Amino acid sequence: MSILYDEGQEAIATESRRALEARMNKDDLLPLLQSSGKYHDGFWAMAKEQGWTALALPEEHGGLALGLVELGLIAHQAGRTLSGAPFLTSSFGVAKAIELYGSDAQKARWLPALAGGEAIGAVAFASGPAPLPEQPVVTLTDDRLDGVAAGVSGGLFADVALVFANGPGMPVLALADLSGVGRSVVESFDNSRCIADIAFAATPAETLVVGEAARAAALGILSLQAVVTAHEQTGGAEALMEVARDYAVTRKAFGQPIGAFQSIKHRIAELYGLVELARANCVHAASREGQPDFITAAAAARLSATEAYDTAARDCVQIHGGIGVTWEIGLHLHMRRARTLALEQGSSLFWEDVLVDRLAGEAA
Amino acid sequence: MSDLEAWRAKAAAWCESVVPQFGKAARKGLTVEEDLALGRRYQSAKFDAGFAGINWPTELGGQGLGHIEKITFEAEEMKHGFPNVYFGISLGMPVPVLMQFGSDREFVKERVIKALKGEEIWCQLFSEPSGGTDLAGLRTRAETDGNGWKINGQKVWTSWAQYSDYGVIVVRTDPTVAKHKGLTYFWVDMKAPGVTVRPIKLAGGDSHVNEVFFDDVKISDDHRMSPVGGGFAVALTTLMIERYVATDSAGFGPHLDLFVDLAKELTLNGKPAIEDGRIRQQIARNYAMRAGLDSINRRARLMMQAGMTPGPEGSLNKLVAVRSRQKLSELALDLQGTDAFLFDEHLSPKDDWATSWINAPTGRIAGGSDETLLNTIAERILGLPQDHRPDKGVPFNQIPA
Ligand SMILES: Cc1cc2nc3c(=O)[nH]c(=O)nc-3n(C[C@H](O)[C@H](O)[C@H](O)COP(=O)(O)OP(=O)(O)OC[C@H]3O[C@@H](n4cnc5c(N)ncnc54)[C@H](O)[C@@H]3O)c2cc1C
Repeated sequence: MSILYDEGQEAIATESRRALEARMNKDDLLPLLQSSGKYHDGFWAMAKEQGWTALALPEEHGGLALGLVELGLIAHQAGRTLSGAPFLTSSFGVAKAIELYGSDAQKARWLPALAGGEAIGAVAFASGPAPLPEQPVVTLTDDRLDGVAAGVSGGLFADVALVFANGPGMPVLALADLSGVGRSVVESFDNSRCIADIAFAATPAETLVVGEAARAAALGILSLQAVVTAHEQTGGAEALMEVARDYAVTRKAFGQPIGAFQSIKHRIAELYGLVELARANCVHAASREGQPDFITAAAAARLSATEAYDTAARDCVQIHGGIGVTWEIGLHLHMRRARTLALEQGSSLFWEDVLVDRLAGEAA
Repeated sequence: MSDLEAWRAKAAAWCESVVPQFGKAARKGLTVEEDLALGRRYQSAKFDAGFAGINWPTELGGQGLGHIEKITFEAEEMKHGFPNVYFGISLGMPVPVLMQFGSDREFVKERVIKALKGEEIWCQLFSEPSGGTDLAGLRTRAETDGNGWKINGQKVWTSWAQYSDYGVIVVRTDPTVAKHKGLTYFWVDMKAPGVTVRPIKLAGGDSHVNEVFFDDVKISDDHRMSPVGGGFAVALTTLMIERYVATDSAGFGPHLDLFVDLAKELTLNGKPAIEDGRIRQQIARNYAMRAGLDSINRRARLMMQAGMTPGPEGSLNKLVAVRSRQKLSELALDLQGTDAFLFDEHLSPKDDWATSWINAPTGRIAGGSDETLLNTIAERILGLPQDHRPDKGVPFNQIPA
């Protein structure tokens, strides 16, 4: 946390927390898991209404001209209440790519709609295990995309996709209007993410960046998204730490609260450490947007946030004993979300490599 | 340039200027006694340059500046490996406590200035064979003796006692009340008759800690720094005196850059070790952890600068950093294989992996063990219950030994 929040930022944190806690309920998620192709539309409505979708976009295109720090604060709160929709991150990623690499026409067409939340963006970089593959499976020929982008979070409802594709002999970063494109829902352990396989078939696309610059640009966008996601993960981890703490002071065994047993108590204290390190890295990374060390900071945030959320999910369930594994109490919702977020912008394996390449001075 | 930046620049410039006299190269090959003598000269130069007692009152020889200036200086100082370790405890706890609780102000002033100049050293006599973590379990006793007191018993783990002129000590003055209610806090002259100091050799090869024996050591009542029976509170104040010291996310071991360099130089299965996934994972995880601590520390400094109190997350530093230093040092030795056997205990734990590794456990115990730190986080920050304490409220002399 290399910055102090100013008053405006403090207000964003408190306001979004108040709004989310008043209207979001983790029980909303249970039905979403059992149906496919639905997302938390209450959350998205709130994101539009509160201006979260516009937060980090430029003013001349309907944005509020705030930045990653502010968006991170919202994402943190969304993570706490388990109420996120994947578009909070993906629409932002697409909008950022258009802002940085798009033409005036592309900006005018997409940015106001994305800022208003009327249009939804999806980011299709990954193919299976590789978040930024050497050889993307989607190809771009004569401004048309072909191939299936698999496992795209938010892809089921997206209006526009940012695609990392295999162009003629080189990678490209392309923008595609998704109206009329075939897609099929991916049944997932966190169905609320509206994950889809998107089948491009001679789909018209516009090129944003070409060649090795496209890979660098894609990594830049992925890093921006990773920082938003890391905030969401940290919020989730923090909430779980508190749930664990609250349970440990009320549940009794052998005549005392289980929180008096050090194996429980120390585990929760360890979670505190993981949460605070993740938070510090997140805020730091958010404050480094646009700086040369941004990707390094983003990678660190991503790694510590993933570790915090996964560990908190594991330990919180364990601390609850039997009740922890019931459908009803809903800790599995955090387990699911923790793993989903861990995969969405590239797993820890990917970010470890990104980070070490940079530390060893071997970054592309 | 802000005032603080100007201060940092001034501190950095001074530190640079004394590197030839007091830096690592100047210390190479010195015996402990020679190094201590160099350390005293360093401390005196620091005093003359206006960098000693930075946040202490000017009437006691300090600089009258803030805590932020102090840690800013220390961060610069830490870069050079100066011989200041002998004064860390002395100026860290006992002397500030003396400033706060010493009754004879003229005496206090004289001691403080001498300590700041490195002419006198103070030690902290808390731990005992029967009371380390459980500080209030100590058995060294003081009985009234005329107008004063007579101390008998044994302390242990007393850092730098063999070079100390004075010490602060907690002793039992009433064994018939609950354990933490029967303690009283004094200062003692370490050269007084009846005080015997016996160094203990530590795993890493050095002997900076000691056993200290007290045989009928007589002190007058003006040595008392707490009400009779009120020593525990002053002891706690001593331990809490500085929440934020200059911190090091490397856990006072080697920086991660050194590990990256090592992994680039060495090979594993015929390839540069830096290409090995296990090595990469450890580098990445360590970096993420250390970067988090660095961010927490930077923010704490910003808060102090803005006149705010830093959050409790600063308490994570030692816990997290030293554990990771210990494991990373093991891995560095693994990477070197049998080449790692070559060991020189005089190398610095800040840039030698074996020395870092063998001294790391000390860091996990001294100044609060990992378990104590976790208890503190759990109880004070998260509000979890205190441990079960069967000795609670029981008169000390009725607790089964
Ligand atoms: C290099 C060094 C320098 C030192 N310098 C000084 C000094 O200058 N002055 C001074 O007074 N002391 C000094 N100490 C002593 C230090 O403060 C104690 O060693 C420390 O507090 C631990 O106490 P102990 O060694 O008696 O271990 P013990 O208290 O016997 O602990 C043994 C183990 O039990 C664990 N344990 C104890 N209580 C609990 C609990 N409630 N919950 C969970 N686990 C528990 C501990 O964490 C540890 O793992 C120094 C120690 C070292 C190693």
